[in-house]
Amino acid sequence: MKVFRSPARHGYAVEASPFVPSRSACAASQFYGLTGCGSLLVLDQTETDVCLVTSWEWSDGLFDVAWSETNEHVLVAGGGDGSLQLWDTANHSAPLRVAKEHTQEVYSVDWSQTRGENLIVSGSWDQTVKVWDPALSRSLATLRGHEGVIYSTIWSPHIPGCFASASGDGTLRVWDLKAAACRLAIPAHSAEILSCDWCKYDQFSPFSRSVLASCSYDFTVSSLHRLVGRRFSRASD
Amino acid sequence: MNRLKIISGHLSPAGSTDHERDLWGSTCGSGPAGSSGPEDVVVVHGLRTATGRAKRGSFKNTTPDELLSAVMTAVLKDIGLSPNQLGDVCVGNVLQPGAGALMARVSQFLSGFPETVPVYTVNRQCSSGLQALFNIAGAIRSGSIDLGLACGVESMSLRAMGNPGDLSSRLVDIDKARDCIIPMGITSENVAERFGVSREKQDAFALGSHQKAARAQSAGRFREEIVPVTVTMVDDRGEDRAVTVEEDEGVRPGTTLEGLAKLRPVFKPDGSTTAGNSSQVSDGAAALLIGRRAAVKALGLPVLGVLRASAVVGVPPDVMGIGPAVAIPAALEQAGLSVADVDVFEINEAFSSQAVYCVEKLGIPPEKVNPNGGAIALGHPLGCTGARQVVTLLHELRRRGRRAYGVVSMCIGTGMGAAAVFEHPGP
Repeated sequence: MKVFRSPARHGYAVEASPFVPSRSACAASQFYGLTGCGSLLVLDQTETDVCLVTSWEWSDGLFDVAWSETNEHVLVAGGGDGSLQLWDTANHSAPLRVAKEHTQEVYSVDWSQTRGENLIVSGSWDQTVKVWDPALSRSLATLRGHEGVIYSTIWSPHIPGCFASASGDGTLRVWDLKAAACRLAIPAHSAEILSCDWCKYDQFSPFSRSVLASCSYDFTVSSLHRLVGRRFSRASD
Repeated sequence: MNRLKIISGHLSPAGSTDHERDLWGSTCGSGPAGSSGPEDVVVVHGLRTATGRAKRGSFKNTTPDELLSAVMTAVLKDIGLSPNQLGDVCVGNVLQPGAGALMARVSQFLSGFPETVPVYTVNRQCSSGLQALFNIAGAIRSGSIDLGLACGVESMSLRAMGNPGDLSSRLVDIDKARDCIIPMGITSENVAERFGVSREKQDAFALGSHQKAARAQSAGRFREEIVPVTVTMVDDRGEDRAVTVEEDEGVRPGTTLEGLAKLRPVFKPDGSTTAGNSSQVSDGAAALLIGRRAAVKALGLPVLGVLRASAVVGVPPDVMGIGPAVAIPAALEQAGLSVADVDVFEINEAFSSQAVYCVEKLGIPPEKVNPNGGAIALGHPLGCTGARQVVTLLHELRRRGRRAYGVVSMCIGTGMGAAAVFEHPGP
């Protein structure tokens, strides 16, 4: 097993590069993300081990990272100070841009996956979701509705302008960017929902494209059908 | 600690009734670092005098009780605490007769402390100021006091390392005993030779100390930790002159590598230890208010630092300078931390040779070491130094404005090392 150890930094998120198969980015924080600084690491896997390509320091913890879908050098990271930073592996010293609009920790960043769109979505503990242009010049929309901290915001891989969010208020929400509104709010769990994701495979059934999964501190994983808004399977251990 | 609250909230979910609450939060048993309890030993506040150059500087005619009294008064006045609240006072001192026990009692009365407050002194050579802190912490931990002052003071103008006391003639027959009376400079040469620390490296380190101290001075970083003291000096014409001392006198901003390279070795003809790459002989005092966290909170006082670990180790007397290289790992292990977790190391610069050796041996990134300069530029008033380092460390961590760990360490003449780990809680 190949291992990369970052001294005094605890990992929060990893994402593989869409362009360089062996490459991934890792958002990490000091002191388990509870206080202190953060680091963004870009790692390459070789035959035998994992090595550091480049890294940057940030003055607060970093909780999520997403690679650009259009430029192999660019990444966006979300930090404990409420900022999103755009980083460029070809320009080592400082971030390309820092956008500080969220008033609390940014826990999730995602880059849109559908063709024809090039957008960033961020989810924050300030209970809002923001959508941004790929240069992070300013937010294009701020979406409110969640009543608790937001842990995860993920673009649908199929439906343009559509993303899901998971929150400490126990709901999974599906949003429509064009209408700037929440289309569905599903009370999927009885405790905080920490993570959600879309099914990106559309070969199984006509319904697969609209399947969402979420997992929560109530020890369950839910799969939900977006259109129906009803839980159709629930796994717990 | 909002983040901690949010995450702890996971363990007691609101409105969750349909399944067993088999997750709960409990105080982490892993001990010191990171936990926060009412029994913690905390530093409330600390101040120091400027360090004067011994024999030639502004404190050359000042008795140590005056220096000590100034800092003890200032610390309590700053936080508005009456000396009645002190359970004990411990003062580090090396050169005064009886380690300054009488001097310390006189000093407390100069400060107007009531006779009901006891005082004593401690001498563990260069670590005395830190040992005073360990002693007060120990008294707090054993429950005999709630609050105490840990101080250090030395006048190297008025006293020198002269009289070794009454020693057995047998000491010449036992290597280690005989090594105890080797001059400190020779131990520096021993470290340089045995561990290969070149003259160039030593001079470069010394230059760094002066540059960092000069930058700190001109940026005014020492202003909040230095208590201005007005003393009487006998000037060149033999007349008394009042002078207010508020800046460290030893710093030489104009230091260059070329200038340092010209200096001749002081202790050995073909040696590498010079006056420029050794600590300066100085006068100064420092005081810290230490307390049990519960008592400190009850009085509404702030917490500047938390003592997380304390270690004292023994090393060969003839290379006493390696002390920190052994003491620091011992203290870090106690705290459950690594070098990477610590933001600032205050390592006493008795000599460049030993300071460089310790920093390299432990793999400490140089930018973490003595960011505001060390004893080479600031001076090393023996009994005061340990307390002075804690004052400088905690003020620096507070300036950085976030939760962080710091280490204070020094080598000790006759072959020991001491180290302490402090946590600054952040805003």
